[in-house]
Amino acid sequence: MSNPANDEILPELHLSWMKRRGPWNTHAEPGKYGLTLADIQVGEYGETPEESSNLTGRSRGSTPRSTAMRIGGYTVRSKSDIWVENASFLYEEALQRQWSSATDVPWNTIEPLPDDVEQAQCQLATFLTEVEFVAGDVPARWISTTTPDYFEARQVLLAQVMDESRHMDVFRKRALANGGGLMKATGATAGFVGGIDLSRDFTEMSSRLHISGEGAVLTIFRMGELMAYNDAEKAIYRLCAQDEARHVAFGVMHLRYMSQNAPERREEIDTYLDEAERAMLTDAANPAGRLTQTSESLCILLGGGRDKFDEGFRKIVAIRRRQLQEYKKRVISAGFGERFENGRSRLNEMMAQAAA
Amino acid sequence: MRSDLANNTSMTTTVCFPSLEWLNAVREVFNSTDSYRGAGGGQCDCTVGLKIDGKIFMIEFEGFGCASVKASDEIDLRNADFFLDMPINQWQEMLRNIHENGHAVGEYTLNTIDLGSEEGIAHAKHDDQYRQDLFVRYNQTLQFFFDASHRVETTFARS
Repeated sequence: MSNPANDEILPELHLSWMKRRGPWNTHAEPGKYGLTLADIQVGEYGETPEESSNLTGRSRGSTPRSTAMRIGGYTVRSKSDIWVENASFLYEEALQRQWSSATDVPWNTIEPLPDDVEQAQCQLATFLTEVEFVAGDVPARWISTTTPDYFEARQVLLAQVMDESRHMDVFRKRALANGGGLMKATGATAGFVGGIDLSRDFTEMSSRLHISGEGAVLTIFRMGELMAYNDAEKAIYRLCAQDEARHVAFGVMHLRYMSQNAPERREEIDTYLDEAERAMLTDAANPAGRLTQTSESLCILLGGGRDKFDEGFRKIVAIRRRQLQEYKKRVISAGFGERFENGRSRLNEMMAQAAA
Repeated sequence: MRSDLANNTSMTTTVCFPSLEWLNAVREVFNSTDSYRGAGGGQCDCTVGLKIDGKIFMIEFEGFGCASVKASDEIDLRNADFFLDMPINQWQEMLRNIHENGHAVGEYTLNTIDLGSEEGIAHAKHDDQYRQDLFVRYNQTLQFFFDASHRVETTFARS
């Protein structure tokens, strides 16, 4: 019995799609880090436009199609609005330095703690789950509004969302791992942190989130080893601090790029920094600030118990001082150091008060 | 998590700390241990200075390993992203703790030691906080590097 398909006269293959292609004969080669995003910045594929008119989700370097519809609502289409020079590097680093909250934390080292210490640890963990939730949500919003032409920066933000997700889960795990649980919500997502979500453009968001918000949390994570009571907690804080330092690096490098390439926005950025500095020691977003729930729990953890509260308080003062010093140096590194010389910033005054 | 390290054969040659030979022996263990590339370790690019008992060394991390270690001088520390400086007895206590446990525990992790004093142990000759933050950003890799010393038979020079 003959196969009807064999009897049909097949039309000649058109294959016109084969002629529609981006630059060809590309030979990206792996370097010492493997084949990274930086290694494929070859020829036109590595060229990022200063302004992007790409509204169709087209991958940078691919050939446009005439019948494409709009995809997404890309409001970030100016390079200076989001770019960092080492975006590819930060993205690859984020991928390579991932860790698992399930298996890379030695949970077996956790042992029962005195009630006051466990409660303080759980209160801090509750606070950090709230904060990390926002730290994932906010950058995530900007991913879908950024043109695919700046995909490197988008990739870094995608990796950040993964990091924040892990931070949220690891502190939740800590709260539930040792006889305690979650405690009262702190309201850390209101006030300054809530304001981050109202940012009208990416740079505004980044200066609030990456420089001031995450910078302060980075200091807390770093100091976390001082209030860790076992190797599990030490590992949690150390590994979270690594991720957070990468996010802060993104913010510093973005502000640096923006200040060099869009100097007309410097005044505006200074205003965001004014706002951040006003909230730095008073807002609920900073656990070492003056919110009772979190600052008291930090004092108990740092001191070693409720009866050593004063000792803990002395350490929290050192944390505040360090937060301010590191913030200042990051702002200088980002190219906005003038504000500490021309009287605009009150940070030097705040540092003197924190030291008193 | 660390059983793969325990199963590896320890180096049998005894080397003196601090010395270039000792750092090279640690580097060899670090570069040949796959588990140091995961669990928060991995890609790392920075130049780290060490000030130990009047001697200065530079360690270059590149990609997934330690590219080089070299003896150096005070002036060269300007090229370090940051350098670690602590009294010789503190170095020795840290290394003894690592040797006993296979990795630093309790108060002997680099970050905890750094936090234990007002001035810390991580310093820089420049003011660029972006570069100084690399101590935190790559902290687990630095910790793994010194943790690798538990497989190096170490003697301590008299200080």
